[in-house]
Amino acid sequence: MKIMNGKDFWAGLMFIAFGLGFLLVARNYAMGNAVRMGPAYFPTVLGGMLAVLGGVIFFRSFLSKISHPMKAFPFRLWFVVGGLILGVVAFYTQPPRDAGAVTQIAHMLLAGASIGLLFAAFGPRSLWVILLSVVVFGYLLKPLGLVVATGLLIFGSAWGGHEFKTKEAAFLFVALAIFSVFAFVKGLGLPMNIWPAFLE
Amino acid sequence: MEALFANLSLGFGVALSFQNLFYCLMGVVLGTLIGVLPGIGPVATIAMLLPVTFTLNPTSALIMLAGIYYGAQYGGSTTAILVNLPGESASVVTCIDGYQMARKGRAGAALGISAIGSFFAGCCATIIIALFAPPLAEVALKFGPAEYFSLMVLGLIAATVLASGSLIKAIAMVILGLLLGLVGTDVNSGVARFAFGVSELSDGIGFVSVAMGVFGFAEIINNLDQKEAREVFTKRVTGLLPTWQDIKDCTPSILRGTALGSALGILPGGGALLASFAAYTLEKKVSWNSANFGKGAIQGVAAPEAANNAGAQTSFIPLLTLGIPSNPVMALMIGAMMIQGIAPGPQVMTERPQLFWGMIASMWVGNLMLVVLNLPLIGMWIKLLTIPYRMLYPAILLFCCVGVYSLSNSPFDVMQTAVFGVVGYIWVKLECEPAPLILGFILGPLMEENLRRAMLLSRGDATVFFQRPISLTMLLIAALLLVIVLAPAVRKKRDEAFVEA
Repeated sequence: MKIMNGKDFWAGLMFIAFGLGFLLVARNYAMGNAVRMGPAYFPTVLGGMLAVLGGVIFFRSFLSKISHPMKAFPFRLWFVVGGLILGVVAFYTQPPRDAGAVTQIAHMLLAGASIGLLFAAFGPRSLWVILLSVVVFGYLLKPLGLVVATGLLIFGSAWGGHEFKTKEAAFLFVALAIFSVFAFVKGLGLPMNIWPAFLE
Repeated sequence: MEALFANLSLGFGVALSFQNLFYCLMGVVLGTLIGVLPGIGPVATIAMLLPVTFTLNPTSALIMLAGIYYGAQYGGSTTAILVNLPGESASVVTCIDGYQMARKGRAGAALGISAIGSFFAGCCATIIIALFAPPLAEVALKFGPAEYFSLMVLGLIAATVLASGSLIKAIAMVILGLLLGLVGTDVNSGVARFAFGVSELSDGIGFVSVAMGVFGFAEIINNLDQKEAREVFTKRVTGLLPTWQDIKDCTPSILRGTALGSALGILPGGGALLASFAAYTLEKKVSWNSANFGKGAIQGVAAPEAANNAGAQTSFIPLLTLGIPSNPVMALMIGAMMIQGIAPGPQVMTERPQLFWGMIASMWVGNLMLVVLNLPLIGMWIKLLTIPYRMLYPAILLFCCVGVYSLSNSPFDVMQTAVFGVVGYIWVKLECEPAPLILGFILGPLMEENLRRAMLLSRGDATVFFQRPISLTMLLIAALLLVIVLAPAVRKKRDEAFVEA
């Protein structure tokens, strides 16, 4: 048996995994019966259906007339393994709330590295560089303020593209920082601090 | 008839108030803008603006969001004709003949006829909504949970049948969407399902995060994957008004496009995209000028442009009367209504006539604004096209991030959106269409609720779905749709239609 359609092969596996995943987790909830359906009823039915459909797609990939290579998108297994290990470590070493700033920041970096590795496991460079700058923006908006976070996002995402020009990125940053301060904070009144929290 | 006029005059009264005119203008300007710019569509834009609409009154908010959707149909054609890139996915087919016309120096005529066609279609669609929505809503008021469940089954099946690509994958995506929609606290039992102890997840996965991740972030990354090669015909766009001969040639095409687009917009799973594909295919079959299709036939621009605008507008009918979204944009509109505390459904028309008729009237007003925006001011939009994508996407990203963050002022939402960006990228690479997933996602909780109620009322008798006539009819139509699509002959035709276009 030879896999003809790599895209169907992976899609089938993905649907099976999601279907079985929902099915297994739903076992923790009450099933109920057809008259009074418990929280597990509908997800169990759907999870089963999804797993079966995934199976069909999976097997179809061996018979398909359309051929696609097995490598449907860039994937780095070791990044997933590393990210998961760091993630587990970060989860179990969570510092208490009153811990010092250094400990807190060290833990944040550890969690960040885990997330970064997991993002970097898929797709081209542009994918993980851009999405990581998005995540950084989200988590640093509050402590560092809108202007700095915007700068990180703009430079990060511009660098993720194919052609990076420092001058252009700097121009974009200045223009967008001014625009977002006036439009979002002054205009729409979104509750965001403009400058880093420790300066205000 | 009298009631119709009374309703429409009520609607125009609302739509012509200064405030609503302003938001309508905002909507259509933004819609044209994002329509012209490739790489950002109405789904991401509406998702981005949802948090902003918190502060508006419901009517203004919906008028603005609707304007974005049909405004994007106008803007998309400009890019399609001048750059051979679909500025908006529904203008894919306009590229074929529109760009050829531009290469022959007839860009002006192509832009003109697409604006005229769109305007005509928009006017017709507005009247169609006003005529058909009230009787449909009346029927819908009689729906019980069994009917609603069957209606959703029909809607989801139709959405998969009409999606391009593999049918079985589309169905799998719908089910995955339903499952993802179930994440969060179960209303009946209070159990936090699939939340894994994460408090943010017990409120459910944010709909905006899914839509923005899949249609915003993943799209940007895919655009960056493909190197851009643009040849813009910006220098000499003259003679925007088509000749009399052009208009005479196109009148039947515009009429056919409008009719087909209006019909396909109402169908669940329909909307602008399907309408333009179908209109082009039909026109290629029936037009006397079919030999010139693909070589710059003006009918090949007029018909799909009329159809996509008509479809964009009539797809509001199922939303406003049944509370069922027919495409991802409508799913977002449901989100916008729920943010405002309005439960979408047939009662909207009777309980909030100002909102309902104001929105319909605003569509006509918005179309008028769009003609002005797109014909005399075309030069401004063309200038935008000269901005390279590498300057645009960081700005788009920033607006998306601010929008997602301000949903609940939490970084978790941003993270969640980024995760859906990765997943969305993988789905595109595996040829799994995300649009059916979004529909499933929004309908998941509704479907479970109605299934539970129907089964409770029937004391666990599942045949209730076949005993009630309306419910049975809808299930039969759904089954028929599946059979038709699976029939080998139709299947081949369907594949051809999507390949051609």
